[in-house]
Amino acid sequence: MNRPDRPRDLKETFLETARLEALLFTSREPVKPESILDYLNIDIDRLETILEELNRKYDAGSSGILIKKTGGGLQLVTHPGLHEDLKEFYSIRRTSRLHIASLETLAIIAYRQPTTIAEISRMRNVNSVSPVKNLLQKKLIRITGRKKVPGLPALYATTREFLLYFGLNDLSELPSLEELTEMFEEKEQPSLFKN
Amino acid sequence: MIEESYQVNTGSFSGPLDLLLHLIRRKKMDILNISIHEITAEYLGYLEHLQGIDPSREGDFLMTAATLIYLKSRSLLPRLEAEDGEEASPEQEFLHTLIEYDKIQKISGLLREMEEEELLFWSRDRFEEDFGEVEYDLKEVSSFQLAEVFYHILRKKEQEDLRVVPAKEYSMEEKRSEILQIIRREGYLNFNEYIRDCRSLVEIIITLFCILEIVKQKAATAVQKTRFGTISVFKRES
Repeated sequence: MNRPDRPRDLKETFLETARLEALLFTSREPVKPESILDYLNIDIDRLETILEELNRKYDAGSSGILIKKTGGGLQLVTHPGLHEDLKEFYSIRRTSRLHIASLETLAIIAYRQPTTIAEISRMRNVNSVSPVKNLLQKKLIRITGRKKVPGLPALYATTREFLLYFGLNDLSELPSLEELTEMFEEKEQPSLFKN
Repeated sequence: MIEESYQVNTGSFSGPLDLLLHLIRRKKMDILNISIHEITAEYLGYLEHLQGIDPSREGDFLMTAATLIYLKSRSLLPRLEAEDGEEASPEQEFLHTLIEYDKIQKISGLLREMEEEELLFWSRDRFEEDFGEVEYDLKEVSSFQLAEVFYHILRKKEQEDLRVVPAKEYSMEEKRSEILQIIRREGYLNFNEYIRDCRSLVEIIITLFCILEIVKQKAATAVQKTRFGTISVFKRES
């Protein structure tokens, strides 16, 4: 019997592209390039070609999804232009963002990791236990060990979720302190009157 | 137009340094060249306008106020030359903290921009995070979550208001000499009668153990005439 909704068989020439697409579609998190190479049994050059093929489909300005390099892997995500649209469909009033205290705490941990709560509190001049707890709950930071000083305080560092949350592939993508100084020096004047 | 007022509560600032920088910027002062006198007055003025300071919540703000007053008082007093040794002065230290904090704020601003940008991309995992009750796989539970759960269990236990009933500790040693004393004095010990005065099952068990021990050591003889009948322990003539 002929069922009309049955998809056509995959073309042999596009099999690898289709397999990668299916893999990215089903994965909940970014897929590491090594896993893809292993799964498709291809080399890195071939992967680049397949990615180009896929991106040709997605980048044409007609697709609602695209492939994003994030968290050190590849992930299918929606087009940023559809953000408001999706929010409306799912009746989300506002997107939850990190509280400023958490963001400051995260900034310190990102640049000083691994570091302790005492150090964070000292730099912010404010007790920072609750933002640290909040960040732990959100899995943006984790405890990596204990500092060998009296009291053996926990040491905190950023996680892979942290990279994902900010769209980074690894920590080196964060601007260095030197770069930051340059950046801030340039736009020092206008930022003075912010807030 | 909204008037710039003091009536902002400290909750709108992420901490005392945030407030301080806000005041410095409003005064259009350069961080590297702040007037301690002026800014201390501003800062204290701000705190005064808060309706009743809650020390547990605003403690960090008061702490910074104390530091500012300390620095101000230092600037009013003549200083000995010898004081300026190799150690950084409190002024330098505070200034350093402020400059560092200024950097942190700028990095935070950068992270905020990155966050805003990333939130536009929707992926499956973010989707699950925002809606639906996520049922964590076992492998996804971090040690922190585990510790947190444990903490809540402990807290729950605390609220149960359990009373501690002190248990009497019976030592084999004491029981043994007590039994031997009775046998020596009375010539024998009736087990059933003796255990009637025992306060717990544990005490009865210990008594039985002691009797067995004494019999084994041949310090006494135990006789039971009928099944389930009482055990009589007699002194053994040596």
